Amino acid sequence: MIALLFVLLAAMQVETTPPPPEPPRPVQLPRPVQSTLPNGLRVVVAEKHGVPLVAARLLIASGNEADPPDLPGLAEMTAAMLTKRTTTRSAEQIARDIEVLGATLDSGADWDSSFVAVDVMSSRLPKAMGYMADVVLHPTFQNEELERLRQQKIDTIRVMLKLLPKLVLRAAAQVVYGDAPYGHTGLTIASAEAMKREDLIAFHDRYYTPANAILVLAGDVTPAEATRLAEEHFGSWKGAPPAPVPAREAKPPAPRVVIVDLPNAGQAVVVFSRPGLARTDPRYPVAQVMNAILGGGLSSRLSEEIRIKRGLSYGAYSFFEFRRKGGPFSAAVLTKNESAAEVAGLIAAEMKRIAEDPAPADEVAARKATLIGNFGRSLETNAGLAQLVGQLSLYEINLDEIRHYIESVDSVSPAQVQQFANELLAGRPSIIIAGDAKKFVDSVKKEFPDAEVIPASSVK
Amino acid sequence: MRRLLVYFLFALSANAAVVPIAYRHRTLANGLEVYSIEDHTTPTVAIEVTYRVGSKDDPPHRSGFAHLFEHLMFKSTAHMKSEMMDRLTEDVGGAIHAYTGEDVTVYWEEIPSNYLHALLWAEGERMASLNVDEASFKSERDVVKEEFRSDVLGPAYGLLYNIAVDRDSYAKHPYKRPGIGSIEDLDAATLSDVQTFHRAFYRPDNAILIVAGDLDPKRFDAWVDQYLGSIAKPSTPIPRVTVTEPPRPAPRRFEEHGPNVPLPAIAMTWLIPPASSPDAEALRLLEAILGNGDSSRLHESLVYRQRLAQDVTVQASLRQNTGLFLLISTLASGKTTAEVEKALRAEVKKLMESKVPAAELEKAKNLVITAELKRRRETNVGKASAIRDAVVFHDDARYANKTLDRLQAVTAADVQQVAKKYLGGNPVVITYTSGGSK
Repeated sequence: MIALLFVLLAAMQVETTPPPPEPPRPVQLPRPVQSTLPNGLRVVVAEKHGVPLVAARLLIASGNEADPPDLPGLAEMTAAMLTKRTTTRSAEQIARDIEVLGATLDSGADWDSSFVAVDVMSSRLPKAMGYMADVVLHPTFQNEELERLRQQKIDTIRVMLKLLPKLVLRAAAQVVYGDAPYGHTGLTIASAEAMKREDLIAFHDRYYTPANAILVLAGDVTPAEATRLAEEHFGSWKGAPPAPVPAREAKPPAPRVVIVDLPNAGQAVVVFSRPGLARTDPRYPVAQVMNAILGGGLSSRLSEEIRIKRGLSYGAYSFFEFRRKGGPFSAAVLTKNESAAEVAGLIAAEMKRIAEDPAPADEVAARKATLIGNFGRSLETNAGLAQLVGQLSLYEINLDEIRHYIESVDSVSPAQVQQFANELLAGRPSIIIAGDAKKFVDSVKKEFPDAEVIPASSVK
Repeated sequence: MRRLLVYFLFALSANAAVVPIAYRHRTLANGLEVYSIEDHTTPTVAIEVTYRVGSKDDPPHRSGFAHLFEHLMFKSTAHMKSEMMDRLTEDVGGAIHAYTGEDVTVYWEEIPSNYLHALLWAEGERMASLNVDEASFKSERDVVKEEFRSDVLGPAYGLLYNIAVDRDSYAKHPYKRPGIGSIEDLDAATLSDVQTFHRAFYRPDNAILIVAGDLDPKRFDAWVDQYLGSIAKPSTPIPRVTVTEPPRPAPRRFEEHGPNVPLPAIAMTWLIPPASSPDAEALRLLEAILGNGDSSRLHESLVYRQRLAQDVTVQASLRQNTGLFLLISTLASGKTTAEVEKALRAEVKKLMESKVPAAELEKAKNLVITAELKRRRETNVGKASAIRDAVVFHDDARYANKTLDRLQAVTAADVQQVAKKYLGGNPVVITYTSGGSK
């Protein structure tokens, strides 16, 4: 009776706190299957029915990492040229054929892989697979097309070098890695001008082989159908696995503080950067949790201190670029030119704090939940699913990691986070600040007397 | 800037049929429109609350206010501390977003479904009251000023895309004011503007709630009644923009400049009818024919064959009122805006003079449909957005499941007719080159 009265009273009043959650429901995780064709091509299928769409990705396990030192960006230029003429079809025909299907065909390269990506309705998949195979197996790298693409790429780089966030990351790679392999960020105007047809053909011959490739199909397709399509279109593909990329062992140089001057820039961007982790590093989960706490989103510490408390930026982030070897770990914040030094001080303080003090347990739990939620959402689309299984396969990580990911993040403790941050953030980072230097050079030099100023035009 | 997102339900061929979006609809006594889509594929739900207020409703001398207000909806309410919305979403594995368009402001969350109850309470909280203090108002205004710098002042073409196109294209309609605002207008905003704006527009009879995903309809209805149905409907009328954009009496040219512009750019715009017009589908196909994909007319002609342009973007920006048909192109090195303008005009003229071949029209339809399936079908958020646009632009959710027939019915003659009717009108031409001052 008293209990009933209490319930009635409660219902009549405005609730002043949010209702508690109900019991969670289990997440359904995909179970991708992998097989290998006799020629060595790995085929990975992640089924997801309901919407009649498929994301198809052909990955070559070599990207800009395999660029010759004097031709940065050769991998991306080679990939971009695939769709510009094959032995039987012109660039215009290739575009028309795929677009008549309502499909998209894209090609490119990142550090660790080159790719051809097709998104298509499932009823048109067989046709689209034929077009995908044609550009992978039979490109001609014709000179006229190379010339056209070269000019386009050079213009793209010109535009990019005036775009502050891109400019600063290019500069940062050069400062952090110097002559070490990750010291370039792809194509430059000079390398685009220097590339010859023979360079592209050599890259294609060496690296575009079935044993160095992975075909990923995600979405409305069955493993049986996927295998049949893979055999039909890629079964006769031949070639040996490439010899390993010659090691260019160079130690990253000492950290520096560099101001990149772009006069009249409407904003500044502050970047802290240092070598980070390989994708296969066992510390991957703790690294993700650490990053989520420090700068992984709107609820992170950098965002709290820089955006929410002080209104100094629209977004303050940190991020790992996990690669085959240790890609950079960076924090990047856009702010008005006048606030650049203050923002640099705030980033430094947060990096110090996360390395020195264990994070409160509830903060760690909240950021782990964010990571797990992001993981689940990334699997809602075919493109996200293809990306995940493609990356696992590329780095030769067991596909079962999909089912262990949540657990591995959940098991990270505050002490592990602190210890990891302490290891990672030991020693000075490089600091790169790009913007209208006259507005912040004095205040930055007060904090960092050894800061050098370079013109934006010196960034390649 | 925002394009109309109309949903197409139909598949390319009979063997790839797509089931319609099955939704439930209720209108509460206080005027709130409620839609729900039940789907238990994943244990998550998407919650979308749309208010029929956008940057066109910015008060006088307060351009950017609707957008600034959107940021403040993450601050304190009667029973929530600042950023509690983030705690209720991000901290439990969800995500939270908001978006201010010309016509609407949309708030959406993707959360584990066991938090739906809590989020409906929270959405009720911020619909019923905002309780922003001076300190967080000022700090958030600074954040928005940084967003302005990141969008407008930082990127080489930010001023062109985010300010100049609308400003130069409209003569009278408030669409001409930038949704991101200006530093001066943002500085002029006060805390009392915030309360006035909330009272005027943030009310149940000006809102649409759409929830898609893992929900139980009965419990959902009960929670909605409890937390949102209990909010009173104000007796005051909702202010509405009544200005209409007059036809352009003559073509106009504008020369705009920005600092650090590496390659010149050119934009051409024409006025087009509202999103609810029967011509909307033909305009979307016209957009695809001209600009969607490497085999589109402008890409093939200007970028590939003539090598005049670095890129060309085509947009049929369909809005609640008069929209814009926009061509915008960054030049290739060494080319002039005059050369590119001439080439753009030649392609537009062709569309007016002769019918698009059947295969080309079919290609455009296929591209548009596949893109819509990806955007509007794969996720709960996508499905919710399909319903939202049908309701906002057509006052009829059924439109989300009907559009494809209308799209499939478009003929080459319709496309030509629409090209003549709208692109035959007076264009605004904007050239954008490097120059110190804006």
